[in-house]
Amino acid sequence: MVLLERLRQSEFLGRDFLVWLWFKSETNGGEFDLGELGRIELRFGRKIKLQAEGDRATETITCAGHAPHMKEARFALTVDKKVTEAEITLTIGKDLWSFVLDAKWMNFKSLKTPKVVQDKNDDPDGLFYEKIFLVEKAISVVDALYFSYVKLRLSPQWGNEERPQLIRWIREGR
Amino acid sequence: MSIILGSINLTRFSVEGPLPDHYMEEFPGRIARHAFRKLREDSTEERAVGWVNIMEMLDSEFGGKEFFKDPYIAMSWRVDERKVPGKALKLHLREAELEIKRAENVQYLSKARLQEIKERVRLQLLRRTIPNSSVYDMVWHLPLGVVIFGSVSSRLCDEFAEFFFKTFDLRLHSIFPYSLAHKCLEDDGVGTDLLDDLYPLSFQTEKW
Repeated sequence: MVLLERLRQSEFLGRDFLVWLWFKSETNGGEFDLGELGRIELRFGRKIKLQAEGDRATETITCAGHAPHMKEARFALTVDKKVTEAEITLTIGKDLWSFVLDAKWMNFKSLKTPKVVQDKNDDPDGLFYEKIFLVEKAISVVDALYFSYVKLRLSPQWGNEERPQLIRWIREGR
Repeated sequence: MSIILGSINLTRFSVEGPLPDHYMEEFPGRIARHAFRKLREDSTEERAVGWVNIMEMLDSEFGGKEFFKDPYIAMSWRVDERKVPGKALKLHLREAELEIKRAENVQYLSKARLQEIKERVRLQLLRRTIPNSSVYDMVWHLPLGVVIFGSVSSRLCDEFAEFFFKTFDLRLHSIFPYSLAHKCLEDDGVGTDLLDDLYPLSFQTEKW
């Protein structure tokens, strides 16, 4: 299957992952245990972008603000809008990252890492390694969360527990 | 140098196939051949692209193989573009047309003639236009075969992948949710065809 066809047919994977991630971040206090990567805290930020799917003309809405758990955005899910982008903050220990995660390509936009300690003039290579370590850390966390989601979706636990809880959470947001 | 300083936009690619056996010897020459060269002043060249040092966009010599940062190759892809501002082109074009009409004592110019004047004026102005420079970082994790590229623009990503291929003779493939899921299942030794049974979730109330 050519790339674009595969991409079109599987676009929902990223979109559904962002909904699940949003749900988990609000229902488990934003905490995730990622095994080797340790415990992390992930929160949805102030901006979520949603889009209508299907043959209709593309309709995009952006919900911004931190009103109680973005009720409008959750309501939009019930009228078949899909999450296409979300602003996310990630905390590991005292370190903080923020970025916008894109559902289609799993791209990172406006990624801000914790401040680097190394100085560009004193040790340019040290600066490079420190920064790339921080960038890769954010990528590893998102990949690990996505892998957890994929495995869960393919397991019986999805239909028995996770999906009903997810639907209940969306319903509560109306 | 955006990956190093400031906030970052990034797209990931996987590199097709293994590294060449003697890449340490082979790559410096390939990179040098595709290093950035400035647009020549007073020329009508519109675009120049090439590799520069990730820590210093004015350095495209790589005398000390600065791009090797074990286990990475890290460079910036510099794009210089010269574009004549639309308003300036319009104004100068009108001026040129009036001059020709006056000199030839005619009221109208043919479509072909107008087109020819437009191109001539555009090239004249192009010589005087200062290029706009952009740099996009790329960090290639050699053992993992993953490239991080510092842009999320589809047009730039496609062009970058093409340039990467020209330089290294290695194809880049976009990483996206399906390919990531595929890799995750493959690494776990689980059948990847399970992915094809998944369907989009719907939260429309009538379907509850």
